[in-house]
Amino acid sequence: MIKQETLRTFLAVLLVIIAVIYAVNAGYFGKEILAEILLFAILAMSLDFLAGFGGMVSLGHAALYGTGAYFYAVLTVNYGWNAPSAMAAAIFFCGIAGWIVGAATARVRGIFFIMATLAFGQMAYVYVFENRALGGDDGMSGIPRLDLSLVGIDLVDPTNFDIFLIVVAAFVFIFLMWLLKSGFGRTLVGLHRNEMRMRALGLSLLLHKAAAFAIAGGIAGLAGTLAAQHAMFVSPDYLDWKLSGLVLIIVILGGLGSLIGPVLGAAVVIILKHQISAYTEHWAFFIGVFLIIAVLAGGHGLYDLLVKLNKRARRKATKPEEVVDA
Amino acid sequence: MITDYSFWTIQLLNGLQFSMLLFLLSVGLSIIFGLMNFVNLAHGSLYALGAFTGYTFAKLLGSYWAAFFLAPVAVALVGAILYQLLIKRMRSASPLNQVLVTFGLLFVFLDVFRFVWGDFTLGIDTPELLNFGFAMGGQLYPAYRLFIIFLGLIIMAALWLVLERTNIGAMIRAGVDNGEMAACLGMNVNKVFFSVFCVGCALAGLAGVVAAPIFSVYPGMGIELLVPTLIVVVIGGLGSLRGVIAGSMLVGMIQTFGQVLAPQVASMLVYALLAATLILRPQGLFPARG
Amino acid sequence: MLEAQNLMKSFGALHVTNNVSVSIKQGERRAIIGPNGAGKTTFFNLLTGELPLDEGRVLLGGQDITKLKPDGRARRGLGRSFQKNNLFDGLTVQESLTLAAVTALGKSGIFWRDPANDDEVVQRVKTTAQQIKLEQVLNTVTDNLSYGQRRQLEVGIALASRPKVLLLDEPTSGMSPEDTGGMLELLKNLTGEVTMLIIEHDMDLVYNLADQVSVLNYGQIIFEGTPEETRASEEVRRIYIGEWGEDDA
Repeated sequence: MIKQETLRTFLAVLLVIIAVIYAVNAGYFGKEILAEILLFAILAMSLDFLAGFGGMVSLGHAALYGTGAYFYAVLTVNYGWNAPSAMAAAIFFCGIAGWIVGAATARVRGIFFIMATLAFGQMAYVYVFENRALGGDDGMSGIPRLDLSLVGIDLVDPTNFDIFLIVVAAFVFIFLMWLLKSGFGRTLVGLHRNEMRMRALGLSLLLHKAAAFAIAGGIAGLAGTLAAQHAMFVSPDYLDWKLSGLVLIIVILGGLGSLIGPVLGAAVVIILKHQISAYTEHWAFFIGVFLIIAVLAGGHGLYDLLVKLNKRARRKATKPEEVVDA
Repeated sequence: MITDYSFWTIQLLNGLQFSMLLFLLSVGLSIIFGLMNFVNLAHGSLYALGAFTGYTFAKLLGSYWAAFFLAPVAVALVGAILYQLLIKRMRSASPLNQVLVTFGLLFVFLDVFRFVWGDFTLGIDTPELLNFGFAMGGQLYPAYRLFIIFLGLIIMAALWLVLERTNIGAMIRAGVDNGEMAACLGMNVNKVFFSVFCVGCALAGLAGVVAAPIFSVYPGMGIELLVPTLIVVVIGGLGSLRGVIAGSMLVGMIQTFGQVLAPQVASMLVYALLAATLILRPQGLFPARG
Repeated sequence: MLEAQNLMKSFGALHVTNNVSVSIKQGERRAIIGPNGAGKTTFFNLLTGELPLDEGRVLLGGQDITKLKPDGRARRGLGRSFQKNNLFDGLTVQESLTLAAVTALGKSGIFWRDPANDDEVVQRVKTTAQQIKLEQVLNTVTDNLSYGQRRQLEVGIALASRPKVLLLDEPTSGMSPEDTGGMLELLKNLTGEVTMLIIEHDMDLVYNLADQVSVLNYGQIIFEGTPEETRASEEVRRIYIGEWGEDDA
């Protein structure tokens, strides 16, 4: 366990360093891609917390993300709220929305859980899509970014915004790692492993699952408010179930239940998408084929691959005498 | 308008026609789902494939009716290939992996359509034979739409006959009811699965080619209809013909009448219905399994 | 302490639990015996709320818990182990016991502290590990334990919640004779305050451990008495012909 932990921390630190260097040195387009990766990374960590650790595979996560984005947009643009309070309110609202979905689906399992979350997600999507007050199909624009000029940081500058996103993503990672080690997090993992046993020990499935969903919802909402600030624009696409699917793909390819894997997955999928798009419009085709092969090959994602490589390297280094399994 | 008798008749017919399309699309998905415990998110893509191949056949052969018969065959062929290459392997996979693989398939199909047929909207002309209308309250109701309703009813009756009155139907029902038991009784499960999958694909293709003259043909059409189809399947209950009929009627009518009566909430109603079903009656309205 | 009043449960026409009433005093160790299919596990599931009752009431410490769900009953102090090992795959013994302790101590909602730094939890895990004699293998993953050890952990997880009443569903099921002896000793050492209801096939264990025995057959209690009385009963012997009688002399 300790050694896995070291690898994870090492990887997290390495990714932060790479991201910071890239944020400073890349051209405008590169900075935009980095921002996209970071937004997906935050969203994917939130989904991994829910699906990888809590066993709740949601296919409606984009709806919480989009809800956060719209909530922030409406409060700042239509009601003139300042950015920090609008962000806090949006995160809080998404937490409540997550709680409700989690409580409603607490007893639904397997493929039906996936369908139920899809249904809730589509409900939100359709509501936004058809609501004229929210701009309908056209979305909303003119969304302000957080004003950090008090501490001398101008977030309109793409480098600064990237660094800001790196800090938020790192914070989310640390927060979730810490949460997973707490009584709450451990119980959540126990619930995923053996629901019946945890109930027999006196755990309320409904309350615990709803609380986990609320936390994941709040983080997805946070990612949404950041996405709205990044693009300074929101559209119903933010809530689309295809986006939920893409996030799920990122989590799976990165490594379900590893927290850092999905960050890696976000980087790989988004970079791949832009690389392929440079040659052909049909990037979705390659992502699709890649996904099918990855699942058929029975892999457990990029992070798992790293863990295995790491083990093999250590085995070679220590020779057969003492092979300590993590 | 509200008291206009013919207005409501037209809405009712529109609802029926949409229900029938949903039925054609859902019935294969539902029985595959119930029989093989397999969820195919790419089912909607097969519907789009039906429309696209139908378009090409109609263009090449100059006849809608040729396309009408050939497109389902073509889709069934693609389904057969998919089954042998992919689906067979995924049958015992976890729901998550099934969702992922078929989601990947959906992406692949989407880009294949864009690549082959281009990223724009195509149309098929209504066949000559049915290009007329019935007068209804000062409006002409297209005969082609009535044809869809009629076709749906025929397929419904045919499926009912096959499922309830033939040996193959009995085997399928036994398989849905209890797969292991059916295998023990010496039923060739793989063969039954394969045939059901192909027929399901053919029906999705049929829905596509039939829908083409009314709705436009474009790459995303399958994805758009996938979600309502899943809703029909889950609301009705997996693997039951009665369930699919009830589900497609409910969804079709709610969509159609919702648009007329309460356009703001119409589309949300269907999702709310699904969420309510999953929470209150997760097995669906008419589950095949007790 | 635990009282079942006229419990009824049927599946279709089959009465799996037919008007069963049992009353267990504080600190009592009661064994439930009966041939296979007598409805012992169903009876347990009715007590814990895993299965809904058709009729009847369940009281714990004088309070009616009939309407509570399994988790609610567990919070009131009803703990159970399972007939088939029902463990947390992939977690170590320590992690499994920690989970149980955290849940039972009502600390599953605490998100600001690692239970490894919580004295109350740590202490609970330690004493439980001693009770079930697994303190040497605390860092072993559950999957790598021997069968007997897994069985001990099965009891330990229930024990870690310090229930008022502990329901044990065949704790020695599938165990070797030596392991069974170890389990008996383990259970005997759980002195005093814990009230115990135990389903068991091993008659040695029943006679050595239980204060009272209830015999269940076809969903009905057909006999109740001390182990000696049970052993002497003609009626019980008749039900059990072939299952025991010769080898426990």
